[in-house]
Amino acid sequence: MIDLYYAYENVIDLCLLNAVLAFACLLLLGVNLLSLATGGLMALGAYLSIWLTMQKGWSFGPALLAATLLGSLAAAGLGALVLRLRGDYFAMATLAFTEVVRILTLNWDSVTGGALGVFGIPKLTETWQLAALLLLVVYLVWAIRNSAIGDRMRAVAEDELAVTASGHDVARLKRALFTASGAIAGLGGALAAHLNMFVAPGDFGFLRSMDAVLAPVLGGVWNLFGAAIGAAILTLLPELLRFSAQWREILIGAVTLLAVLFLPTGVASLPRRLLRGAHPGRIA
Amino acid sequence: MLLQQFVNGLSLGAVYAVFAVGFTLVFGVLNVLNLSQGAVFMWGAYVGLEVMRTLHLPLAAAMAVALLAAGLLGVLSEWIVFRPLQRRGAHRWMGMVGSLALARILIGAAQEVFGTQVVRYPDGAVIGAAVDLWGVRVQGLQVVALAVALVLVLALGALLRLTNFGRVIRTVAFSETVARLVGAPVGRVRVATFFVSGALAGGAGVLWSLLFQSVSPFMGETVLLKGLTVLILGGLGNVAGALAGGLLLGLVEVGSVVAVGAGYRDAVGFGLVLLILLTRPTGLFSSREAKRA
Repeated sequence: MIDLYYAYENVIDLCLLNAVLAFACLLLLGVNLLSLATGGLMALGAYLSIWLTMQKGWSFGPALLAATLLGSLAAAGLGALVLRLRGDYFAMATLAFTEVVRILTLNWDSVTGGALGVFGIPKLTETWQLAALLLLVVYLVWAIRNSAIGDRMRAVAEDELAVTASGHDVARLKRALFTASGAIAGLGGALAAHLNMFVAPGDFGFLRSMDAVLAPVLGGVWNLFGAAIGAAILTLLPELLRFSAQWREILIGAVTLLAVLFLPTGVASLPRRLLRGAHPGRIA
Repeated sequence: MLLQQFVNGLSLGAVYAVFAVGFTLVFGVLNVLNLSQGAVFMWGAYVGLEVMRTLHLPLAAAMAVALLAAGLLGVLSEWIVFRPLQRRGAHRWMGMVGSLALARILIGAAQEVFGTQVVRYPDGAVIGAAVDLWGVRVQGLQVVALAVALVLVLALGALLRLTNFGRVIRTVAFSETVARLVGAPVGRVRVATFFVSGALAGGAGVLWSLLFQSVSPFMGETVLLKGLTVLILGGLGNVAGALAGGLLLGLVEVGSVVAVGAGYRDAVGFGLVLLILLTRPTGLFSSREAKRA
């Protein structure tokens, strides 16, 4: 068991990290917001924490805290501007944010190392920290879902106009959720930066943001563990398919596509479906 | 100098416009975002290249074959992603995730078939001629790109406005239910829309690789992001807006290279998107989006 852990430490860390980010997106998907800001917010947390630990001599804990704060502040500011946009316009505005951050980091050489990235980052992130964070985030999502806020979220997902009309402040709910997910993304970025010893602007772009959203959609939005299962699949599959770069892409695409086509409520619904023998097309 | 940049920006913008018009057409008619368009763009570029290199056909024929092949790839995305999802009444996110997965398959397949190196069109394909107009050097290629872009977009406009089939397409865009009620062949319209949209992406791919002399399996991602930018600039689903937005983006990008340097070129478009969304939440040229929402 211990051997197994050492052999796959890196993969396990990545699984945990991606699951945390997936839960950050899941919070927003619950109120029909598809956010592609994850990459940009992660980049802010990552570069701030690297700068603090490597150039300012901060220890890891305060640097993580600073990254979390920056992530939540940036999300609060961005949210105040873009949360009133609807549907695809919101997704595109958050994507624009991620891309603008990526290009700023590409050009701000003194802090970010430009296109070459930052080398020799101390590896401070431990597996237990990621695991603890994941547990905390899962607990938070569970607690929110089982509170009055969770009921309101479900109502917003069903019919936003009706919830607004009955006197609830939907805008405030969305701002709060977006800020919370920004805090998680900022912290996740800082942990990611201190995991691999190397960070470049390309790590936090469109595909990073897309993967974070993909995980809960793939795993199942209304199942508590759906996001974790989705993240595990998206992290493990590339590792399993290492033998060929080209076939890896093709197979990941194919598996994702098959899941989207045949498991409408996510991979997490698979065991129940097998037990019940339900027809895949029935639950939509 | 300024006029020179204007010409460069216009030819770049023309390529963006061709890509974005196909993108926005699918959105306008079927209300879905097809994220496999970037990969279709890349396949169009490769098909055109292979036709010229192995069959030694002229550029116009290569363009035609690329349009056809890319159109078929567009139809493929309807058949294996969007139609099954629509039958099930799946959430629209599923379409985005599914089409992105298809893009991944197409990119992997291109790496397998064509290799991962950057290649370029044979020298014979490049129109070397250039003319000097009022002190501005206009390359033959830029004229061709602009002309082809205008022809493709105008042909689409004529199809939508003047033909019976165009009327049917616009009926489906108005409401699929209404279209079914009046007996419009909705399934065929969907397939045709995806074909036209894929073909435009492929055409843009050929033009792009001629202008920039580089073809690689990963060329689609940047253009996909540019396409999304133009989509917002022009208003989702607005064909004329996509044409204007594409030209605008090309001009602004080239202008920004002159003003603040090449490093920020890709940020300018997205900065513009953020600014525009903050002041006009449904895009620069939108009119019908307000009605739909």
